Amino acid sequence: MKNRLLQKLAWALLLGVLLVLPHLLPNNYYRGVVNLSLIYAIVAMGLNFIYGYTGYISFAQAGFFGVGAYTSALLVVDAHWGFWSALPIAGLAAAACGVAIGIPALKLSSHYLAMATIGFGIIIQMVMQNWERLTHGASGVHDIPSITIGTYNVDSAVGQYYFLLGFLALAMFVTWAIDNSKLGRSFKAVREDEIAASSAGIDLTFTKVFSFALSAFFGGVGGSLYAHTSSYISPDTFSFDQSIVLFTMVLVGGAGTVCGPVIGAIGLTLAPELLRFLKEYYMALVGVGIVLIMIYMPQGVVHLFSQDGRVGRWLQSVKQRSTR
Amino acid sequence: MLQLLINGLAMGAIYALVALGIVVIANAVNVVNFAQGENLMLGAFVAATLTLTFKLPILAAYVISVIVLAFYGYVFQRLAYYPLRQKPFITIIISTIGVSMFLKNIARIIWGAQPLYFSGLFGEKSIMIGRFAVNPQHLLILGITGVLFLFQHYFFNRTYLGRKMQATAQDQEAAALMGIKVSRMIAFTFIYSSMLAALAGVLLAPVFYVSADMGGMLGLKAFAASIIGGFGSVPGAILGGLFLGIVEILCAAYVSSLYKDAFAFIVLILVLALLPRGLFGEKISTKV
Repeated sequence: MKNRLLQKLAWALLLGVLLVLPHLLPNNYYRGVVNLSLIYAIVAMGLNFIYGYTGYISFAQAGFFGVGAYTSALLVVDAHWGFWSALPIAGLAAAACGVAIGIPALKLSSHYLAMATIGFGIIIQMVMQNWERLTHGASGVHDIPSITIGTYNVDSAVGQYYFLLGFLALAMFVTWAIDNSKLGRSFKAVREDEIAASSAGIDLTFTKVFSFALSAFFGGVGGSLYAHTSSYISPDTFSFDQSIVLFTMVLVGGAGTVCGPVIGAIGLTLAPELLRFLKEYYMALVGVGIVLIMIYMPQGVVHLFSQDGRVGRWLQSVKQRSTR
Repeated sequence: MLQLLINGLAMGAIYALVALGIVVIANAVNVVNFAQGENLMLGAFVAATLTLTFKLPILAAYVISVIVLAFYGYVFQRLAYYPLRQKPFITIIISTIGVSMFLKNIARIIWGAQPLYFSGLFGEKSIMIGRFAVNPQHLLILGITGVLFLFQHYFFNRTYLGRKMQATAQDQEAAALMGIKVSRMIAFTFIYSSMLAALAGVLLAPVFYVSADMGGMLGLKAFAASIIGGFGSVPGAILGGLFLGIVEILCAAYVSSLYKDAFAFIVLILVLALLPRGLFGEKISTKV
């Protein structure tokens, strides 16, 4: 009894903190970091579909993120579209790229797929850097206007926080819905055993390509949000290194779960800020950290707390002892 | 034109060396070492430091660098591979990515962000072959890698240790049943791989500046080369590397130099889509 009440209180507290978070933070810089983590959470959730649920390694996610960001930014800045029309197009453009990599990927497995996605991501970045007529090249796209809802301009860090939080909640809901749906089950079936899945009647081609497209769509939407809350984008952001970071977010948080990528994204975006005192050692430690995480908690944070994980089992043993 | 070809072949030989290191490990333990590019970088930095700071003669620096990297290879596999050897390969791959991040940044801390330059055995002069000015370092690269491949062929096929390593790569269980100490063979494989990277690093250093970033893209392209040649095949890695080196330089010269880095990956994706065996290798496409 007492446990249930405590649990409910904990959730209520969390919700409360989430609602007032921007006002608890001292300045716009920190609010900006939090906002960035929300965006990365959405992009990471995209990656979660292709890797966590369907079991395919993709290092192209930063590329999809970039395609969405650039599509949205260029439509608004150069073609004078509005944000709300540009957003879905950005997602769809990214999804199209997802299909473009998904189709050749149908025949590939493991390291070949990983390599193909790396290559794809790099090619995308090079196009961003070099096709100056279209993308403004290495100087990036400046002065991207912020999002407007009716007459309200979402240009303050606080306003952006609530806006992004809303989108993240939507993304989490969609992920949760897919997780529990037939589509989600087909993804997982492909991950577990393709041949068995195929004999159970799952259309492998559609499932795999759609999984890429879905992941890319989330990445693209995240990109559009990124462009319009950061007001400046450049090709440097959308690199293979970034794909690695995104992949790490999913891995560390917990692949194949709804909350995992969110936790991973928030953790890995806030960590550089919290660990700023490490200065130039930070990235080196990230490298070491990755190795250690792979050794000790390869399934991620969420798994640790679940019933089979170390923390989960410890909690259960504590509960059992306290009820004796 | 000859210049381009020699440049391309030389770069290709470097890719081949690095690719060879990747393939050797992949054959032995079914893992892709994404840190191989950084191994090259380490080899180059060690040699550069020995030459510039300790004023050792260049040949000595080369040899010592390769030896140092051999030790490093052992440490690397003990710390980053061995604890993970039973885990799914994606875990190990991510771990090697972590190592590559670590190495890149540690190198930046130790040696600073400024690229170092150390001239090879030939200084900066070019020699003339017919009408063309050729960088002798490129010829050296081709020469040394040629010798290396011959040596390697001999080593793996004719010596006892080499055959043991091959056996381990083909089938660990069977090798163990035959009395081969598998973990020791794996350690040797990693050592050999990092020595290859060191050699590539010291050969390459006079051509480009030595910097913490030199490994990253190169490692990726070498991996692409090994796939193009046919992943898992040693001659494939070599030919894939040479092929990539030449294609890259020709495309950069005649198509567009801006997209130079992209060509390697465009070729890779084309090969993966159209020629699934790569040029020589195992079947890498699976029937859906």
